[in-house]
Amino acid sequence: MIFGIEFSKIVSMKRQGITAVCITFFLAITVAGCSSRAKKEPDNTVRIFHPEKIKGLDPVYSTDVYAGLETALAYEGLLQYHYLKRPYSLIPNLAESMPEISTDGKIYTFKIKKGVLFQDDDCFKETGSKGRELTADDFVYSWMRIADPKVASTGWWVFDGKIVGLNDWREEASKNGADYSKTIKGLKAVDRYTLRIILTQPSPVFLYALALPVTFVVPKEAVQSYGSDFRNRAVGTGPFKLQEYNPALKIVWVRNPTYRSEIYPSEGEAEDKQQGLLDDAGKELPLSEKVVAHIFVEDQPVWLNFMSGNLDYISIPKDNFDQAVNARKEINPELKAKGIELRKSVRLDVTRDTFNMADSLIGKNKFLRQALSLAFDGKGFIELFFNGKVVAAQGPIPPGLPGYDPNLKNPYMEFNLTKAKELLAKAGYPNGKGLPPIEYLSQSSSIFRQMTEFYEKSLQQIGVKLKVSFYSWPEYQNAIRTRRGQIWGQAWNADYPDAENFLQLFYSKNSSPGPNDSNYSNPVFDRLFEKSVSILDINERARLYKKMVQILVEDCPWLYKVHRVDYDLVHPWLKNYKRSIFDSGRIKYLRVDSKKKIK
Amino acid sequence: MRRYFLRKILHSLSIIFGVALIIFTLFHVIGGDPVYEILGKYANAERAQDLRNEYGLNKPLWTQFILYLKQIVTFDYGRSYATRQSISEILSNGIGPSLSLTLPAFVITTVLAVSISLFSAFFRGKLTDRLILLLSVLGMSVPVLAYILFGQYFLAYKLGLFPISGYAHSLGERISYLVLPVLIWIVINLGYDVRYFRVFISKELNQDYVRTARAKGLSEVSVFTKHILRNSLVPILTNVVIQIPFLILGSLLIENFFSIPGLGSVIVDAINSRDFPVIKAMTTLVSMLFIIGHLITDLLYAVVDPRIKIQ
Repeated sequence: MIFGIEFSKIVSMKRQGITAVCITFFLAITVAGCSSRAKKEPDNTVRIFHPEKIKGLDPVYSTDVYAGLETALAYEGLLQYHYLKRPYSLIPNLAESMPEISTDGKIYTFKIKKGVLFQDDDCFKETGSKGRELTADDFVYSWMRIADPKVASTGWWVFDGKIVGLNDWREEASKNGADYSKTIKGLKAVDRYTLRIILTQPSPVFLYALALPVTFVVPKEAVQSYGSDFRNRAVGTGPFKLQEYNPALKIVWVRNPTYRSEIYPSEGEAEDKQQGLLDDAGKELPLSEKVVAHIFVEDQPVWLNFMSGNLDYISIPKDNFDQAVNARKEINPELKAKGIELRKSVRLDVTRDTFNMADSLIGKNKFLRQALSLAFDGKGFIELFFNGKVVAAQGPIPPGLPGYDPNLKNPYMEFNLTKAKELLAKAGYPNGKGLPPIEYLSQSSSIFRQMTEFYEKSLQQIGVKLKVSFYSWPEYQNAIRTRRGQIWGQAWNADYPDAENFLQLFYSKNSSPGPNDSNYSNPVFDRLFEKSVSILDINERARLYKKMVQILVEDCPWLYKVHRVDYDLVHPWLKNYKRSIFDSGRIKYLRVDSKKKIK
Repeated sequence: MRRYFLRKILHSLSIIFGVALIIFTLFHVIGGDPVYEILGKYANAERAQDLRNEYGLNKPLWTQFILYLKQIVTFDYGRSYATRQSISEILSNGIGPSLSLTLPAFVITTVLAVSISLFSAFFRGKLTDRLILLLSVLGMSVPVLAYILFGQYFLAYKLGLFPISGYAHSLGERISYLVLPVLIWIVINLGYDVRYFRVFISKELNQDYVRTARAKGLSEVSVFTKHILRNSLVPILTNVVIQIPFLILGSLLIENFFSIPGLGSVIVDAINSRDFPVIKAMTTLVSMLFIIGHLITDLLYAVVDPRIKIQ
C-alpha cells in the first residue's frame, strides 16, 4: 500500500519488460560464469602480458621491447644471448657458429645453419605452402629492407653508416626507388649458406646488432605476398607459430612444428643449478606448447590476473608494490605462502637530469653545474619516489656492464649544500644572486611534476630558482631535440650490454637532435670514444670507459640520479624464469609445471 | 524537406571544413614535428629528414592541407605513424568491440533511466522520489574510476562472478567478458540520466493537458504513459539520440581496465604519440557523428511532435 493502487497497476504493466531485462542479465551472468570456466588452454601454456598495444610483428619496426618480444617468438636472428650466463654473452642462433672476423676487424663471415625452415605459410607458392629453407640471401634481403627509405624502419640506426655501400644504396633508393637486385659491397651472400659483411670501420659492438629483433630474418615471399598486411603476420624460422593476433587484446602462439632442433643450455651461473634453472638442460626448445600474451594497459588488471593465476609472472605494478614487498624489500608473507617468488635485478639503465651544454649560461659554467648537482638530495629522492628500491647513480654506466666502477664516488652527487653554495659563488652567483631562473623542462604527468617540485625545493636552499615548463611527452621530445630549455630529465635503457651504448650519449657527433641531448662536446672525450669503438678487446675498452667516465664526472653534463631495479613476481609453476634484458627470444626457455599449477 | 537536407549538408560541410582547418593549424603550429616520436631515441637530423620526406611532411603546408581535405572526401586517411596500421583497419577493428560494450549498456541504461524517472515523477515529493534522487546524486558523485576499481576487484576477483578482464570474438564468451563492464557503465550513467529525465517529466506534470486528461477521468496510468511520457519524449530524445553515434567511440577507462580492444583509447593514444593521420581521422569522424546525431534528432522531433515540421 505504500505506493498506492496506481503504482501496482504500472508495475503490473511493466512487469513483463522488467522481468525480461532481469532474465537477460541473469542468463548473461550465468553464461559468463560457464563460458569463462569452460575455456581451456593446454596445461603447458605460458601467459605473459604487455603494458601497451603491440605495434605490429614486422621485425623492421620492432624497436620497442614489447614488439621485440613478440616478434622474437616467430623470427630469429644470426645471434642470440646466452639465456643463463652473466655478463650477457652472444651465442649463435641461426648462425652455425660465431663469425670469422678479419684481422683488421672489418670483415665478418657468417656460416648459416643448414636445413632451417621458414614456417609453413601460403606465401610459399613454389613449395605448396611448405616453408622453404633459409639461405644467406634472406639476410641480405631483410637487411636491405631496413635500409629502404620507403619501408621507413625505426631500426635504421642499427646499420646507418656501418656497412660498406648500404648508405649509398639507401640514397639511391630514395631517389629512384629501391632495387633489391643490386649488389652491395659490404653485404653479400657468398654462397647459399655464407654471408659476408664488410664494415666501414671496426666495431666491437656491431655483433650485438645481430641479436636485435630489428635484424631478424624474413622471407621475401611473405613480404611481397602480404604487402602492408605483413605486419599482422608472422612467417619466420622461430619456435612459435602465430595463432591469433589482436594487438590491442592478446596474441596467441603455438609451438612451430617445423622448428629446428635447439636445446636448453646446460651451463649457467653458479646459483642457477640451485634454483633449478639447469633442470631442463639438453631438452628440445621451445619448452611450452603455447604462449598467450595479454595486453593490459592498466595496473589493476595486471595485478588481479596475476593473483588469479592468469599470468605466470609480472613486474610488480607500482600501485601494488606495498602489497607485494615489505619495507625490507622482501616478499610479503601472504604471497610467499602461495609459493610466489620475488626476483630482483638491476636494470641496465640510468635516469638523469641533463644540462644543456649548448646553452650560453649553463653550458659554459662548470661550477654552476657542479653546484646544481650538489644541491640534489639523491637519498631523499630515492626514498620518496622509489621507496629506496633503486641504486644511486654515480656516473652514466649502470652496474653489470664492463666499465662500471663500483668504487666510483662522484664528488658532486653527495648532497652537500655548503659545498654547493661555495661552488655557486665560484660560478659567479653567491647565494644565487644575479642568476636568472633556470629554464627546466618537465613532462606533465603527476610523478614528473612531483620530481620537479622536489628538485626545485632543494635548489631554493642555495638560492637558485627554476622556471619550469611542463610538456606532454611528444612536445617534451621536441623541446629537447630543439634545445629549448637549460635542464630536463631523461632516462636511457641499454640496447646492448656494452657501456658504449651509454657513452655515445656524450659523443659530440651525436648532438641534438641525435641521442647526445646534452650537446656535450669535449675533444678529449671524443678522441677516447673514437679510440674505444675500434678496440675489440673488452678489458682494454673498459679501461678507456673508466677514463671517459672520470671526465664526465668532472664536467657534469648530467646530474646522475638512479639505476632502476626490477622487481618481478613469479608463480611457483613457472619453470626456468630468469630475467634477461636483452634476449628477446627468452620465452622459448619457459614452461609451466601443470601439476604444481593444479595444486 | 529537400531544402532542409541541402541546408543541413552545406552546414555540415562547413563544420567539417572548420574542424579540419583548426586541427591542421593546431597540429602544425603548436604540435610540432612527429618524426622524433616515431624515430625514438636514435633520431638524428638526417634520419628525421628522411622520414619527413617519406611521410610528405616536407611539402608546403597548403599542399598538405589539400591532401587532408582529399582524405576527408575519400575517407582514406592512410596509415598510422605509430603502428603503420591502416586507419580503416584501426576503425573497423575497434568499432565492433566498442559497440559490444556501449550499445547494450546504453539501451539498458536508457530504458531503466526513463522507467525510474517516470516512477520517481509519479511519486514526486514523496519518500520514494527523494530516495531515488538521493541514490542518483550518490551515484553521480562517486568517481568513475572508483566503480571500475571496486567492480573489478570485488565482483570479479574476490567473488569470482565475472572474468577480471578480456574480450572474445565468439558471442558466448564475449558476453561473459562484457557483463561486468556493461553493469559498471549502467551504474555510472544511470544516476545522471534519471535526474535529467525526471526534470523533463516533472515539468509536464502540471501542464494544462494533464489536468484536462485527469478531468476527463483517465486513469493515472493512462495519464502517465499516454500523455506525460509522450510529451516528455522530445527533450529525452534530444539527449538520447545525440549520444547514439558516439557509442562507436567506446569508453576510454572501461575499455582500458577490462581489455576491450575498442576505439576508446585510440584518440588519446594518437595524441600522445603525435599520430597525425589517426588524429585527423578521429576528429573528422567525431565531427561527422556530431552532425549525424543532430540530423537524426531533428528528424525525430517531427516524428514525435506533430507540431514540429521540417522545413
